[in-house]
Amino acid sequence: MQSIWKNRRFQLLFGGAVIMMVINLINILVNSPMHPTQHWAQKIFYYHVPCAWVGFLSYLIVAIAGVLFLKTRDFKWDNLGLAAAEIGTFFTILVLITGPIWASAAWGKAWTWEPRLTTTTILFLIYVGYFMLRSFGGAPERVARYTAILGIIAFLDVPIIFLSVKLWAPEVQSHPQVEMNSQPINILGAFLFSLLTFTVVYWVMLWLRTRILNLQSGRN
Amino acid sequence: MFKTLLKKDLLVELRSREISASMLTFGLAVILIFSFAFNVSSDIFARFAPGLYWTMILFIAVLGLHRSFSHEREFDTFSTILAAPVDRGLIYLSKLTSGFLFLLLTQILISGPFVLFLQLEVPRDWGYLLLVILLGNFGIMAIGSLVSALAMRAKMSEVLVPILLFPLVSPLLIASVKATAAVFAGFPLGEWQLWLQLQITFGAVFGLAGFLLFDNLAEE
Repeated sequence: MQSIWKNRRFQLLFGGAVIMMVINLINILVNSPMHPTQHWAQKIFYYHVPCAWVGFLSYLIVAIAGVLFLKTRDFKWDNLGLAAAEIGTFFTILVLITGPIWASAAWGKAWTWEPRLTTTTILFLIYVGYFMLRSFGGAPERVARYTAILGIIAFLDVPIIFLSVKLWAPEVQSHPQVEMNSQPINILGAFLFSLLTFTVVYWVMLWLRTRILNLQSGRN
Repeated sequence: MFKTLLKKDLLVELRSREISASMLTFGLAVILIFSFAFNVSSDIFARFAPGLYWTMILFIAVLGLHRSFSHEREFDTFSTILAAPVDRGLIYLSKLTSGFLFLLLTQILISGPFVLFLQLEVPRDWGYLLLVILLGNFGIMAIGSLVSALAMRAKMSEVLVPILLFPLVSPLLIASVKATAAVFAGFPLGEWQLWLQLQITFGAVFGLAGFLLFDNLAEE
């Protein structure tokens, strides 16, 4: 079996990810201007928001992989779903760490029931359950089906969770948010580049993890 | 066919009274604990009552769901049902309906002691309250039946059910608590119908998802 490192497309993607990560860091620390009111605290947004984006993207992939698995019963979709869930949860944890760091600098307290952060927390808990179902579920074929279903349900729940949390604590909305689309062009540019970088890095991770899982389950 | 399946669940319950008896006794114990844990004046209690009420209902529901599904596991009746030429969605609907009825029965019996022991005043719009309770029940059982079926054959299923259910059900809990609080406060329907709509949406989405996904869940 050919090593993944000899795969031309993977080499390009991996090399691209490394270079983009370095440029991204320089961009954030040196090139992007200081935010007029939040100073250094704002810099965390270049990591926080892309992590959240990648986390949500993962859960979309989990749901799609779930549907495809239930349709085809091909374990490559189960492996893709599991890989996306693992990596997505990793980035979600980063969101839950970076969020309070920013909030304590900007709002003076580490935790507020801000809708996006709350939704992320609930999603995180759902995916902890997802992994528990995986490890306690029993026969691999059944676990694959069950977690596919759970991935679909979880994704259906996301908009309802977000809406309900938003309506539940409207007073939190009045907190000053850094709205990225109303930022000067050089902050927005660096932010979009960071978003792209994280997406590429995520793609590399997903590719590697799916491959490992495929190898473990005896596929090429 | 649906009728036969539902009749089976109801008959088993009628003969053993396992589920409703444990739900009711557990509910009473929770009310007692609430009274001891929050030894405060009745107007403060009135403010917390909707939240306490739905927390209690959620715990009761988990207990009932677990009983209902572990009964299927203990006697391996599920495999027998699956051997019958039945639309799998109907199995889900029968579980949803029997769960809904058990929870409703428990609620009817427990609401008296809840109001009495926590020294609450029954709201004038109790018709609305009934509607909120019915919709909340339906939503809890719609997602609860699905999650319990997923966890049924896993190890530690009694732990998995609440771990999976609570985060997934959180938007419904928010909506039910808000709606109940609004009825208790005597707000006009126009001010809180949003929460009713959320309850309906939740019930519809997961009722439908359960009906459609159960085909993939219940196969051997």
